[in-house]
Amino acid sequence: MKLFNLCKKKEIPGFHGGFNLLEAYPIRFCNVIEKISSDVAPKQFVFNAPQQKVEQVIVNLCPTEPWALPNWVTLAHDTSSFLDKVVALRARCFPAARVAIAISEKEGKHVTEAIKYAGNTDWMTAHPLNPKYPQNDPVVLSKVVLHAEVECGADTTTQGILILDAQTIAAAYESNVLGNKVNSRFVAVSGTGLKENEVIRVELGATIGKMLGGRFKANGTHRVFVNGPLCGREITDLSQEIDWSVNNIVVLEALNVKVMFPMIKQEEMSFTTNILGEVRQCVYCNFCDDTCPMDLEPALYYHSYTRGEGHKARSYNLGKCIECGLCSFICPSKLELLQTIKACKALD
Amino acid sequence: MKKIPQPIEHILDKTFDRMESFVHSHKKVNFLFGALFSAFDGLLRSSKDTAATQPFIRNNYDVKRFMGAVLVALVIGWVFPAVYFYGWQCVISKLMVSFIVGVFVVDVLWAIIAQEEHISEGGFVSCLLVPAILPPQAPLWLVGLGAALAIIFRNVLGGVGHNLVNPAIFSRLFLTICFPSFLVMGYQTPFTGMPDLHSLRYGLDAVTHATPLTLFKTNGEVASFFSLLLGTSGGSLGESCRILLILTGLWLIKIKVVNWRLPLSYLSSVFVFSLFFSLIVGKSVAPPIFQLMSGGLILGAFFMATDPITTVYNQKAKWIYGAGCGFVTVLIRDFTTLPEGVMYSILLMNLLAVPIQSLMVKIRYRA
Repeated sequence: MKLFNLCKKKEIPGFHGGFNLLEAYPIRFCNVIEKISSDVAPKQFVFNAPQQKVEQVIVNLCPTEPWALPNWVTLAHDTSSFLDKVVALRARCFPAARVAIAISEKEGKHVTEAIKYAGNTDWMTAHPLNPKYPQNDPVVLSKVVLHAEVECGADTTTQGILILDAQTIAAAYESNVLGNKVNSRFVAVSGTGLKENEVIRVELGATIGKMLGGRFKANGTHRVFVNGPLCGREITDLSQEIDWSVNNIVVLEALNVKVMFPMIKQEEMSFTTNILGEVRQCVYCNFCDDTCPMDLEPALYYHSYTRGEGHKARSYNLGKCIECGLCSFICPSKLELLQTIKACKALD
Repeated sequence: MKKIPQPIEHILDKTFDRMESFVHSHKKVNFLFGALFSAFDGLLRSSKDTAATQPFIRNNYDVKRFMGAVLVALVIGWVFPAVYFYGWQCVISKLMVSFIVGVFVVDVLWAIIAQEEHISEGGFVSCLLVPAILPPQAPLWLVGLGAALAIIFRNVLGGVGHNLVNPAIFSRLFLTICFPSFLVMGYQTPFTGMPDLHSLRYGLDAVTHATPLTLFKTNGEVASFFSLLLGTSGGSLGESCRILLILTGLWLIKIKVVNWRLPLSYLSSVFVFSLFFSLIVGKSVAPPIFQLMSGGLILGAFFMATDPITTVYNQKAKWIYGAGCGFVTVLIRDFTTLPEGVMYSILLMNLLAVPIQSLMVKIRYRA
């Protein structure tokens, strides 16, 4: 029976390494807040099919970050009607393309529905995926789903692969197929710096400050991140406007103070910006290359760079790095490996 | 876990804050005790550093927990059984000498002289290993000297992260060269049976002069595997109870502190090469299972060869490294006058780790 399970596990395509963030940081979104309006006239969402011929469309229904917008918001527990939208959108915008539905294997009901739906057509396939980070990175996603080698850093549309998330498809269906105006989107708002984790429907063009108004916890210092604390960006200016690329906003406690007995407070400390340890020398523990989704050895870049031989890093497959940030995340010596990699990349 | 009452926590926190500001505001105090205070502070409080660059969250696994896991495994793996076999008076005194000399005197003095900002946690592991690889009846000054040598040697090379060879084994080698007579005698017969107060304090009074490997070398006598596994057959202080060492080693593998490739390749290569030699040479060399279960092999394979800093970084090179350790161990045990070769094999492979690593990198990233 155990052997059977092992064989069964291998069937789900995947990649070496990665990290299951969904288990490490369980975040639950309960309520959807209806529409926060913009002070100025809201911008409109326009979906432009790319200039190049689209051969493959990957519908990404596999969020790997717990703070990302959950699927149920757009799917509304009805996979079939969502897939109807995909069919209609394909007929309108890219009729020759094949469609791959990448869906998290954890969502059992949706997976069976999608596979059943895809079985009726010869151009649609459903791929249950292991939702570990960074499964939804464009490079990893095309590699796992299509077995296609995509160059890192390059736009996948230049190679005929278009990756769309659930919300973009729903909006593109509204605007391009039905002809309605779309000027708002859902944004997932979460983190230890907020009173509650919520999904907010917000008009494009509203400021982040207005959306988060009154939702901060009263005490402590907070840091605001757009599109996740892992590979998103930090913002200090809350007057920035929300555009279509803002999927989620995470507000974390900074925790820039010393905490007594950290070993018994791991739960409450883990989802903060504290580095949870002290910076030390590299101890060659192999954590970084164990977790690297692209089978690279980040410590090699670090040692090359600190020895002043950063140019050598390029010969160690540096170009394959997708900058997911897992090496810095996992490093027990708290080294800034991602920054080193970026510095090495910028060398020539 | 039990919660610590809020007021106590608060008072402690305030006291530490006050002490910190005191230490930092007085130049001379900071010069002398800055490193010691920050080490002690680091044990009880988290750091206040926040992630300045991407990624902005970090995993809650740090070097302190890494070393802490090794410490826990070593305490369960050798300190507890050693107390049972040889009595606490023998074990605890050695540990105290080792820690006081190694960490609290040598490392603190070094931090003061070299103006280091912190005292590394790695010293605890080295100081816990030093008495484990010495005979049970080794004099206390020998243990203290070993611990001091280990820490000095590690710090001279640049501290944790830069040491070329395992400091504990290096100090053992140094002691073997300088005081050979103390390291071939003093192998006490372990206590067996129901423990009572007297045995838990002193162990047995009888002293033998031969470990199972020496006995095989002189008389061709093979000890029973059961006694080797449970540790009732004598040997260095920490190497005897192999069943517990294996269990704690497996636990370390499970929590990913120890890379499974190293013990597996080391032990399997010892098995393969000793089988090979015993088939060719015959009965004059030790049989494979006896070689696996005797001497410091289990302790070395799970706790010393796996020291991440001194091994190779590349995962494939770890197989070569482990196999090399096994080969040298079997060569020394079978074809030299020395009864045991684990120490020399790990030291030799530590030195060879750098060329192996650079060779594997060249092979892997050929243009």
